[in-house]
Amino acid sequence: MTELVAILVSAVVLGSIYGLVAVGMTLIYGVLRVFDMSQGSMVMVGGFVGWATLQSAHLGAVPAIGIAFAVTFVLGVATQLISVQPLLGRIGFDFEMITFITTFAVAMVLGNVALEVFGPRQRNVPPLVHGTLDVYHGVSLPWQSVAMVAVSIAAMVALWLFLARSRYGIAIRAVAQDPDAARLMGVPIRRMFPLVMGLASALGGVAGVFLGAQFFASPTAGDLPLLMALIVVVFGGLGSLPGTVYAAYAIGLTQSAAAVLIGTTWSLPILYAVILVVLVVRPHGLAGHPSQARL
Amino acid sequence: MSGPRHARGVWPVLGGGVVVALAAMLPLIWSNGYAIGLLTTMFITIVLAASWNFLLGMAGVWNFGQLALYAAGGYAAGALMLHTSLPPALALVGGGLASMLLAVVVAVPTLRLFGIYTALVTFAFAEVFRLVIVNDGSGLTGGPYGLPAIDGLFGSVAAPSAARAYYWTALAVAVASVGAVAAIVRSPLGLALRALRDSLPYASARGVDPLRYRVAAFGLSGFLAGLAGGLYASFNGSIGPEVMGLTEMSITVTMLVVGGLGTVMGPVLGTALLTAIEAAISGHPAIELTILGAILLVVVTLFPRGLAGATSAGVDRFAAWLREEDAPVAENEEVEQPQSAGTLIR
Repeated sequence: MTELVAILVSAVVLGSIYGLVAVGMTLIYGVLRVFDMSQGSMVMVGGFVGWATLQSAHLGAVPAIGIAFAVTFVLGVATQLISVQPLLGRIGFDFEMITFITTFAVAMVLGNVALEVFGPRQRNVPPLVHGTLDVYHGVSLPWQSVAMVAVSIAAMVALWLFLARSRYGIAIRAVAQDPDAARLMGVPIRRMFPLVMGLASALGGVAGVFLGAQFFASPTAGDLPLLMALIVVVFGGLGSLPGTVYAAYAIGLTQSAAAVLIGTTWSLPILYAVILVVLVVRPHGLAGHPSQARL
Repeated sequence: MSGPRHARGVWPVLGGGVVVALAAMLPLIWSNGYAIGLLTTMFITIVLAASWNFLLGMAGVWNFGQLALYAAGGYAAGALMLHTSLPPALALVGGGLASMLLAVVVAVPTLRLFGIYTALVTFAFAEVFRLVIVNDGSGLTGGPYGLPAIDGLFGSVAAPSAARAYYWTALAVAVASVGAVAAIVRSPLGLALRALRDSLPYASARGVDPLRYRVAAFGLSGFLAGLAGGLYASFNGSIGPEVMGLTEMSITVTMLVVGGLGTVMGPVLGTALLTAIEAAISGHPAIELTILGAILLVVVTLFPRGLAGATSAGVDRFAAWLREEDAPVAENEEVEQPQSAGTLIR
């Protein structure tokens, strides 16, 4: 029973944070058809922002999250303008593969600049919230993790409300559905693209503050979150936000079950095996539709 | 994407022949051991890049597990050289065959997948392969330390002559690989792969069997990658799991894409350029990778088809200008429109 509770608690924590990173990637893919490989760097930058604000400047949790949001929003807009905007509307190459590589190049630059500036050392980020919560006999959870889950879920709900209700959100969905029709209806699609990428990157940055506090801030802190987010996005089905959220929790559950029952060394290989089986059975992920494939 | 440009005359072949002949004469007149070693590594990398380009650029398969195939070839060849009395040249071919087999096994689950899905499965395969080797305690692969003290192809030859022998072997294999890829691209197999890349449903409806051609592409690419890995293990005298790290992958992808994905000469140009840059700024890995990332970004956003693609487009335009024609349009290609991804929230 204790084991089961431990698995479930860990699944919710992991799933929320993967969801926050992955939802941004799904948003970008849905609107721009770009697999944003720089999303992991946004997590890394968020971690360093958390370190700078909480550890060095002694600011509170709310300003730290706000600053991380702002910094990664600007970085995301810049990434879009540098690595994706120049390729839009050009022909003669595979847009998805080339932008996958250009955003990967951005990640290479950001990661190595961080390595040059901050060095390979891991930096401790103080927790955003102190204390632990006793969940069940022997299973306790830091309030930090509770806050992480709460903020992740709040951010995902806020994103959903933004997309479902606001003028800009409806415009973004219109672009995802049909860019040409959206343009004919007066949506300035070239201006929507940087906005989407900035917003998605900012979600990664917020996740980065929490992940930094959970583990460390380091130049490679974004690599594993990026890999997990990629797995979640693919598992959920490209361009489907609900699919991404379900997949995030499914992946979190798989990983925490494997970690508790078998051991952490093999939790990643087991995850890969699960993905392989799922993709062989459902080549377009859980919620993806075959019509999304290039025909 | 466009296909290979046929029949631009004998000049490129002649020019290539002259470059290869000059490269072959180089060790006779220049005895700088460091430079010869650097060039040998470059030729081996060209073989790897050509094999990867064949899958990624020409067949359009998002394979991001190529370095595992490369390492597998190195390990297989190394183990054959260490533990059997097989002639080293046969051990090298054995490495290639082992990689080919592995590539065919990887190909099967990716057949129904497209794009990023393939990337994830192949990358996952590579990661699991790396983890299995790093955690291997049986002594077969040497775990995290790799296989040491491989005698290699020219173990019995004195050092300076062996260096030259490796140089010529690597050059010959590189020329043969690039030539083989060029020949395959112009063959019916190449045509079938391009058709599958540009539209899988249409090509298979016209009778191109994705199973047969994709598996063949994986097998060929795996064989070349394994050959490169075996040469590397043999030349280097050892092989370890670090050859398939993320940094190595970033560098090789940069070579491919800067040179020109899907072009015959792209891997050669990209590898040569990046080897020169790496040699110039070696010793500062972070600065080196920052610069490589920046170069990748600039070159690809300016020329999505890489330096080779940009060059051949420029040559075409120049030739048209000489003939006083209008500049040719990029190619008769369909504009790729982003397609509906659904409404995002439903």
